[in-house]
Amino acid sequence: MHHVLIVEDDERIRTSMRLALEDEGYAVTDVESGEDAVAELESTLPDVVLIDLMLPGMDGFETCRRLRRTSTVPVIMVTARSDTHDVVAGLEAGADDYVTKPFVAKELAARIRALLRRVRPEDESPSSFTFGDVTIERDAGVVTRGGGEVHCTRTEFRLLCELADNAGRVLSREHLLERVWGYDYFGDGRLVDVHVRRLRTKVEPDPASPRFILTVRGMGYKLVV
Amino acid sequence: MRRDGARRDVRPRQGRRLRNHLGLRARVITAFAVGALALSCVMAGITYFAARQSILAERQATAQRQAFVNASLVEQSLRSSRTDLAQLLESVDTLPGSQSVLHTDGQWYATSISVSQRTLPRALRAEASAGNAATQRFVASGTPRFAVAVPLPSVHADYFEVFSLSEVASTLRTLAAVLGAAALVTVVGGALLGVWASRRTLRPLVGVTDAAVAIAEGSLGTRVDAGDDADLQTLAAAFNRMAANLQQRIEREARFTSDVSHELRSPLTTLSASVAVLQAHRDELEPRAQRALSLLDDDLARFRHMVDDLLEISRFDAGSAELALDDVDPVELVRHALASSPAANRDDLRVDVDLRVAAVRLRVDKRRFERILANLVDNAARYAGGVTRVLVRPGRPTDDGRVSSVRVVVEDNGPGIPPTERDRLFERFYRGDLAGRRAAGDGTGLGLSLVAEHVRLHGGSVWIEDAPGGGARFVVELPVDPVGADDGAARPEGGGGPGEPPLADPARPARHPSPRPAGTRAS
Repeated sequence: MHHVLIVEDDERIRTSMRLALEDEGYAVTDVESGEDAVAELESTLPDVVLIDLMLPGMDGFETCRRLRRTSTVPVIMVTARSDTHDVVAGLEAGADDYVTKPFVAKELAARIRALLRRVRPEDESPSSFTFGDVTIERDAGVVTRGGGEVHCTRTEFRLLCELADNAGRVLSREHLLERVWGYDYFGDGRLVDVHVRRLRTKVEPDPASPRFILTVRGMGYKLVV
Repeated sequence: MRRDGARRDVRPRQGRRLRNHLGLRARVITAFAVGALALSCVMAGITYFAARQSILAERQATAQRQAFVNASLVEQSLRSSRTDLAQLLESVDTLPGSQSVLHTDGQWYATSISVSQRTLPRALRAEASAGNAATQRFVASGTPRFAVAVPLPSVHADYFEVFSLSEVASTLRTLAAVLGAAALVTVVGGALLGVWASRRTLRPLVGVTDAAVAIAEGSLGTRVDAGDDADLQTLAAAFNRMAANLQQRIEREARFTSDVSHELRSPLTTLSASVAVLQAHRDELEPRAQRALSLLDDDLARFRHMVDDLLEISRFDAGSAELALDDVDPVELVRHALASSPAANRDDLRVDVDLRVAAVRLRVDKRRFERILANLVDNAARYAGGVTRVLVRPGRPTDDGRVSSVRVVVEDNGPGIPPTERDRLFERFYRGDLAGRRAAGDGTGLGLSLVAEHVRLHGGSVWIEDAPGGGARFVVELPVDPVGADDGAARPEGGGGPGEPPLADPARPARHPSPRPAGTRAS
């Protein structure tokens, strides 16, 4: 059974979310502040963390950054608005995905399932892939660069594998949203953009002028070796 | 509402005033021209008469002097000897154009046949015969003349000398012509000065007009700068105060809608999650409770839609709506948008694609496009028996034949929409004569107004036509690139700052991207 940690200050939302997610088959722990979440994470290791952005005291962004220092656990941001810079800032802080209030429980469950999905190995894709000084060890779920391990979140790893499996081909945002996040055509392209940006800081020698993960204007992204 | 009433009060009065009078500009120009005309007429008149007086006086004085000199010559000659009088007269004629006439012993002698005693005015002759020297100006055979009469009592003769003034007259004519031309030039100059002055005077009005237009188009922060003119500062201050009040009120209203919608989000989240729990345990409920749960679930969904729509509207009202542009294949976009709309999931729905569109990449906010199509399809399903056909076509081509816009046409099966209703249909909460069919309408009443807002944000337009088979046809026209084809840096590469939306170009907020002002138009 997968374990979900909910960080939400509104008691009614917290309780109703816990009940709904428990019905979907998850074990749920809920805490009401960022500080409690950090304390909770020292003792337990959840499979997914849901963080409300508007928390009293330590806000959702800071909670997410603190958590990212030690963990690659998938994080879903819960935002009040999808059109503000909050979404991008939340993703920059390390979140894998986001949902907008008021969300439907089924939608939230679908997002959690998508994050927990294992990387689907392509039949013919090799178990390891190398570009520059970066090597992807698909079976071990590890990325190394110049011998040292690169700490990638699961989503970043899945994104990198998808790009590597289709090296040299342009992948549209829609394609990446579907393959990596399990969204349909109308998913938010900002998810892809922010994750590509973060991935570049981990695998590119100069993230500002990328050599491997390239933007193809008006089309999408491609990885060149 | 009171604001509307006030506007209705003011408008007709203004209109009448404008009809009855010339515009301010025309009045200023006319005033300057008339002023210049009057001034130049007075100046020209004074100049003319003063010049005329002085020229005539001088000419006459010269003539008089000569006449007296000649008269004394004639007198001496007559006294000394009886010479040939005609020869004598010839010898004294010195000025060109002057002729002498001598009357002695009842006989008249003249130097020229053009001048005789008959030429001389009777009054002058009478004066001379009475023994008085006299002068007179007169016109003879079309020529202005000046005659001097000198009685010579010692020799019983009267000497007359007649001078032609035609030279003086032609000088005065030239002077009059020059003065007239100068007056004309002055009038034109006055009118030009009037144009310049009116433009200068009206410049602040133009500034105020521009500001008012900008405010009407949504730039609520526009203000007028009065410069250092004290008269204008009053106007500018009043205008700016009005604009500030207006902005405050509009922003307060927009913020209120936004705040309310935001406050509704938390309870809605709890409600949604709780109803989901109840739905999961539906089987454990009695049939009556199950029915109540279904009702709760349905209206909760509607409530969610309404709050979403209100939030969307409040973002438009606050001017904070921004495009998140993506390059997409328009045909694929339409297919996906229809597939995600439950009301369009019908086997008999035809999608006709013009091949010219298939080659085009459309720069569009996918989410907003999906809402546009979903709302149109939803509207058709609610009020017009559903969508019959969706067409994807190029808009009117540019001069070089490029496809610069894409039209998405949604046709329905309904009774059509009367032309008078067509524009109003895009107003918020407008139901028109469809209100009678309220039973069919459990929509939010915001769907079509949101369609218009989304389209306008893209710089496109939406209108309603008659579908060929009866029914209504909603046409959405979107430009291929809402921020212009020259946009080379729409998507920031690599590290944009944190909190910077990577899909919207920060250099262009794209709030009013279109040169075309209207979001809706009748066609």
